[in-house]
Amino acid sequence: MQKGRVMKKIKYITRIKRYNPDTKESYWQDFEVEVEDSLTVLELLMYIKDKIDESLTFRTFCRSAICGSCAMIINGRAGLSCKIQAKDKIKNGVIKIEPLNHLPVIKDLVVDQEPAFDKLKKVKPYLEPDPKKVPDNLKVESLVLPEEVAKYDKQTDCILCMACYGQCNALEGEAAYLGPFQLTKAFRFIMDSRDGMDVEERIKLVEEAGIWDCVQCQMCLAACPKGIKPAEDILELRRIAKDTGEDNMATRRAKVWFANVFETGQIDKWHLPEVAIGDEEGEEITKKLEEEFRSRGLKEEEFAPKPFEGIKDFQKFIKKLEKEL
Amino acid sequence: MKKIGIYPGCCFQGADIHNYDITVDFLNKMGVEGILLEKTACCGGGVLDETNKMIVYGINARNIALAEEKGVDLYTPCNTCYMIIAKTKLALDSDPELKEKINKILAEEGLEYKGEAKIYHTLNLIRDFIGMDEYKSKIKRKLEGVKVASYYGCHVLAPNEVALDDPENPTVLKEILEPLGVEVVEGYQYEQTCCGYHARYTNPGQKERLAVKPLEGAKEVGADIVATPCPLCHKAMDGYEEPILQVTQLINVACGSTPEEAFWNINKTEVKISL
Repeated sequence: MQKGRVMKKIKYITRIKRYNPDTKESYWQDFEVEVEDSLTVLELLMYIKDKIDESLTFRTFCRSAICGSCAMIINGRAGLSCKIQAKDKIKNGVIKIEPLNHLPVIKDLVVDQEPAFDKLKKVKPYLEPDPKKVPDNLKVESLVLPEEVAKYDKQTDCILCMACYGQCNALEGEAAYLGPFQLTKAFRFIMDSRDGMDVEERIKLVEEAGIWDCVQCQMCLAACPKGIKPAEDILELRRIAKDTGEDNMATRRAKVWFANVFETGQIDKWHLPEVAIGDEEGEEITKKLEEEFRSRGLKEEEFAPKPFEGIKDFQKFIKKLEKEL
Repeated sequence: MKKIGIYPGCCFQGADIHNYDITVDFLNKMGVEGILLEKTACCGGGVLDETNKMIVYGINARNIALAEEKGVDLYTPCNTCYMIIAKTKLALDSDPELKEKINKILAEEGLEYKGEAKIYHTLNLIRDFIGMDEYKSKIKRKLEGVKVASYYGCHVLAPNEVALDDPENPTVLKEILEPLGVEVVEGYQYEQTCCGYHARYTNPGQKERLAVKPLEGAKEVGADIVATPCPLCHKAMDGYEEPILQVTQLINVACGSTPEEAFWNINKTEVKISL
């Protein structure tokens, strides 16, 4: 305790979602506590285990936001319980604590991390040394320039806590989805100047139930205790897939989106299905849109956006951004 | 009269052109003059990033600069436009070097990103720009007996840095819906599940699986309708069993417009609310 600081006790309810593996029963349990206001959520759980119910089970180790053991859902949002102050999380007198989503619960707040690690293995989360960059003996250093590291420095901060995974909306729709931190890991190795695996090969590893399943909800950014931005890394992976020749609905959309914005400032939602989806299905959607536009009293010249006045200046602006940023 | 800059995103276009009329009607009802921000460009929608993410910063700095040129704040009803533009503002305001680089290029169009304009979405526009008392004073008829499930959508609550309310315990939508006389339902299953809109062209199956979930949760608790502030969530989730409307469509009717004027009639899933 800091010198001079008066210890203050506060009273509130800790509502924990528990799971008993013997009875396979899942239930909410309230614990009324009166504790110091300086506790982290993890310390709160330790207090409950110590003083109220020793059967309460959770995973913990370092207590310093570095080992990644204690991620859980606190008030509907995933985070590390050791990094979060309990008093900040009391809402209407209650803190709600649940295990991470999308992983099998072993007991109470402990989830089985193996399925997520199995998915991580699918992206080959290790360096395949490029013999042109990495010396074949340990006497010579493998040099990496600061500007090279900068491209993936942040991503190396991942502690595999799985907070992003436990908050991910894409997993809500597709259980086979690789997951946010797994894709960030793939991005990190693609950007590593020492990596010798072909980019195309690395991209192939993240395509099935991967980068195209992400819904860009941004929840992984909100969850990450290290400030990593998996959803943004996924957009980068999509860009790399497009730039290395992947041709699918998503990459066709990305290309026409940029072309439209460059030409008019806006996207052309009328032709988008025809171009992106392609084939008969896309053509049919574009045709149906025409009918819809007409039924809404739009004239044909209003179906697609027109370039705004001064579009040439805007185009110069875009070209300069491409060149100078 | 207070003035606000209306940022026209893709939700004002083509088959969604009525969203512009809804927005203008809403601002009129609130006694706010909307100034259309011409020459602005698409926020990028999380897709321009797949070409070049730095362009996204540039375009949205330019969008904000166009509002600042007119001396107004920027308002968009779209969750995604809000999130992306707010993210840009955050990036530029915290990175003087990036701001300077972009401003150098903007200067050629006679524009400057100053960082003065605030970024508004319908929810914080009502709470912080219009003011709750002023908002309540504009309501003419109560939509009594209507059970409304509130649905925020993702991009007004994540990432945390741009969230317009407490992301863990948001109250602003309830505070806006309740004065309409409706019964607000919160805490239903899948309330926080994403509508899937942005997967429409990357994995359409994913979009379909997600869009229906919050609707099912709302139906289960007996909601007559789901209300979202976001035109994209509305577009993704309209067409299933449970009807959904945009919050502004409810507000406009409570402030005197007919349901037709608020475009309830063009919903794919019929809105069965008798007034």
